[in-house]
Amino acid sequence: MKKKGKITVTITIGIAVLALSTVMFMQFKLVNETDITSIENMREEELRTELANLKEQYDVANEQYEQQKQTLEQYQQQEKSDEETSKLVQDELDNVNLLLGKTNVEGEGVTITLRDKESEDGEFLIITSDILNILVNYLKLAGAEAISINDERIINTSDIATINETLILVNQQRIIGPYVVKAIGDKTYLESTLVARGGYVDTLQRQGYDVSIESSDKVEIPQYNKDITVKYMQQN
Amino acid sequence: MTNKKLISIVLGVMCFALTVAICIQVRSVQNSTTVSQSYEESNLRAEVLRYQERYENILKDIEDLNDEINKQIDEATQENSNLEDAQSQIKEGNMIIGTTDVSGPGVIITLDDSTTDPTTVFNPNDLLLHDLDILSVVNELKNTGAEAISINDQRLVTTSSIQCGGAIININGQRVGAPFEIKAIGLPENLSNLERPGGYLDDLREKYQMQVKLEKSNNITIPRYSGVITFEHAKTVE
Repeated sequence: MKKKGKITVTITIGIAVLALSTVMFMQFKLVNETDITSIENMREEELRTELANLKEQYDVANEQYEQQKQTLEQYQQQEKSDEETSKLVQDELDNVNLLLGKTNVEGEGVTITLRDKESEDGEFLIITSDILNILVNYLKLAGAEAISINDERIINTSDIATINETLILVNQQRIIGPYVVKAIGDKTYLESTLVARGGYVDTLQRQGYDVSIESSDKVEIPQYNKDITVKYMQQN
Repeated sequence: MTNKKLISIVLGVMCFALTVAICIQVRSVQNSTTVSQSYEESNLRAEVLRYQERYENILKDIEDLNDEINKQIDEATQENSNLEDAQSQIKEGNMIIGTTDVSGPGVIITLDDSTTDPTTVFNPNDLLLHDLDILSVVNELKNTGAEAISINDQRLVTTSSIQCGGAIININGQRVGAPFEIKAIGLPENLSNLERPGGYLDDLREKYQMQVKLEKSNNITIPRYSGVITFEHAKTVE
């Protein structure tokens, strides 16, 4: 009898331990799989930023929605002449070409000039393709709509390459210093994000690079000067 | 007697292990989610969710409108053959801009943080992928002729930027985390040139022990950009 009781106790404890262990492992797996990109795990500050971003995106989308609705209504109007239809299609094409980079554009924005330089203690501070690439990325982050480097227009498929860290090619075209990077967008926002402490222009200047930035009401950026062709992808 | 001892020891060890596990667990939970779920925070969370839904809905509406407009253009071009050329330019343009789903041959590159034990290196930061790594890989893909690129299904458009935000990376304002799956459409033989010795991928793999994989494929599908691209400041001049 005494022995039987002991066995029961042992078995009970054994089962309890087993159950606990299972729960622990499940828990571990859960913590491991927690998606750090989901909003359930954001903190207050992140939530605020996310909300502000979403509101802005929503406003832009809403504007686009209204615009597209109008376009559609124009199409749907009865008894439209061939001429009117042509105009609507042409408007659509004009917008596509604008977004592609196939048109000369102008608008407010900034011009950034970067020069190779030899510092006082004989160190060379060379502008590399990486610097230009990062700068372009920061300009896009700050909302730039059109960008060019030495009048080579940056489009969706543009690359900034280097050969032996000495030659820089944009759109497979060789460019030489000084490098003039132009961007069209909200000029105040573009300038302030780049020159603020920790902004990329500020960072480069602190490292001793010869970089200057100027904002203006009228920046002119030329069109992409080659054909943009599609060879491998097709619409789904 | 020995049996009793054995049982006690086994139980003791088990209890010890469990206690340790619980302690670790409590600590890691403290690190990640014990941010107090204040009233304000849950309000904010609800608001974010609400806006997310509204945003997704309106994107869907815009998509429907665009489809309808395209149908109208198709009809119009059937009646007027002069417009055929314009129509095909619009279609091709939208593929490059990134506002349509596309497919074709290409490569899929998968990048993940290094598996090296962080305590064995001088700077554990070197074991993580950064926005600059992704940016460089994307730039090389464009250099080898990529026509369309996506990162974790976020299509890269002309206004896309890649921005570091701690353990995650922001692309098109969307948060994505490692592993990163970069898809590119183009000639697979050219795109796979990224694997050349001394290239960026090779460096990531050899110098920093990142997990790098490149696969060629004949059928890659890249989804359209999930947002809206409009220019407010840049205007076409003749």
